[in-house]
Amino acid sequence: MKKQNSRLQYLVRTVAFVVAWNVIVSLVAVAQADETKPAAAKKLTGAELYAINCNRCHQERYPTEFTSAQWQTLMTHMRVRANLPAKQAKEILKYMKEEAGN
Amino acid sequence: MKKNFTPRFIGSAAASCILGLVATQHAAATVSDEDFNALKNMVQQLQQARQQDQQQIQSLQQQLGETQTLATNAAVQASAVAQAQATPPRNALHNFTMVGDAEVQFAKTYGNGTHNGFVLADFAPIFLYQANEKVLFEAGFDVTVNNGSASGTNIVSNQPYTHDSSSSTSVSLSFAQLDYIINDYAMFVGGYMLLPLGTYSERTAGFLNKIPDDPFGVEFLPGAGAGAQLRGAWAVGDSGQMLTYAVYGANGPSSVDGSGNAYTLDSGGNKISNLDLGGNVGIQGSGDNGNLHSSPSGGGRLGWFIPWGGAHKDLELGISGQSGVWDDAGSYTWSACVLDAALHVGPDFELKGEYIDTWYSTADAGTVRPWGYWAQAGYKLAGLNLDVPVISDIELVGRFDKENDGLSTKSDRYTIGYVYYITNTLLFEGDYEFIHSTGPNALPPNQLILQLSYGF
Repeated sequence: MKKQNSRLQYLVRTVAFVVAWNVIVSLVAVAQADETKPAAAKKLTGAELYAINCNRCHQERYPTEFTSAQWQTLMTHMRVRANLPAKQAKEILKYMKEEAGN
Repeated sequence: MKKNFTPRFIGSAAASCILGLVATQHAAATVSDEDFNALKNMVQQLQQARQQDQQQIQSLQQQLGETQTLATNAAVQASAVAQAQATPPRNALHNFTMVGDAEVQFAKTYGNGTHNGFVLADFAPIFLYQANEKVLFEAGFDVTVNNGSASGTNIVSNQPYTHDSSSSTSVSLSFAQLDYIINDYAMFVGGYMLLPLGTYSERTAGFLNKIPDDPFGVEFLPGAGAGAQLRGAWAVGDSGQMLTYAVYGANGPSSVDGSGNAYTLDSGGNKISNLDLGGNVGIQGSGDNGNLHSSPSGGGRLGWFIPWGGAHKDLELGISGQSGVWDDAGSYTWSACVLDAALHVGPDFELKGEYIDTWYSTADAGTVRPWGYWAQAGYKLAGLNLDVPVISDIELVGRFDKENDGLSTKSDRYTIGYVYYITNTLLFEGDYEFIHSTGPNALPPNQLILQLSYGF
């Protein structure tokens, strides 16, 4: 009985966590509904994808901090680490190389 | 130039003819001194004019030579440029780059009689070696200075030393993995790799985490393991949204003494957990294979990243897990499930957290269930638009975390702190932790930590 209660509590906690996040997602989606439509309509540039992805886990690293060759290596590293889609990674790399330091 | 020169030349020739005629007539007839002198002057003037013409000819010939040289050089250069344009640039394929982070930490723990002091100096480089666009080898190390061990005897009192002496340096391998990009949707990772159980293990560097120490719960997970992994992502639409996946096999946790018992005893007879999350790698001193249990663990993660309205507005959700036997006989199973989430609402607000649940069956204590969760929020004061330099560079952070090690120790903690961004990668962090902990491995009540962290 005790074991069943423990499992039940675990299940309830897990479900509550998932539901809570879904509520947050829904609220945010509704609040931003007007902004979402135009954003989804156009294809994002490398600079925009860089701004979206490259400060999720750390402060933005400026393109001029590394050379073009170094960005090639760093983007491979970050593509694997952050699990970025290939096309997005390529667009970001193109932007970083264009703006890279010497 | 030629037009100017020709009349003069013709003039000179005509003058010579006239001179000849005049000279002939002079020989034949009587010429007055006056006429003779006039003719003499004329001849002298003509000679001067001829000399000037010759000089001009030489000058023109010299200029012509220089012009021809320039034309030849220009032709050679044009040919070289044409060749360079016809050949595409050849960038070197191999590239070696180093990134990483370094930290210095000062701490004061209250309630257990310890002194305050500088407790950590850490240098954590990541070496990246790229062979070509598809192959990357990366290895991360942690080089840390530790206090030396208390050893020896005081020759005056004949008592053993109780204080640590000097210091030592430890070097540990955080990960060493080969990445191979198979195609747009799949990447292979092999070696000693960071495990995607939640996101904290892959985002744990000092300058990434805005609070100096780890949240509760993550110590119940193996951060890395020897094995192989397949991972990748699909873009959903053109808004930056994506689905990500990772599946892997790794040696997984093992048993300290080989049995499936929950506890083992240390040299002092104290109970310690028998679960070794680090797993085994390579061949043991006894000659046994590193993975002492019957088979490796399997695991994976599914993630969903949803940006909206451009940068700094996004939500990431993930679910991950791992399971496999952990004792030598392969009779008992260790499993984990992690839910992770991260939310950014504008450039100044962030909320993230993980719920970590693990459980393993044992020979002597039934199922042991360590679990924990943490939620962390940050707000950058730049969002207040105060335009005050120091204030605008500060981010306030807070965290609540809770855990139960499944072996009777329970802890919860409230943390408040700050991050001062000296630059984008040089951070001065500080926090104060209010800890409530009970059980055999209870933590001290409160703690202050200051940390200088640099990402390079």
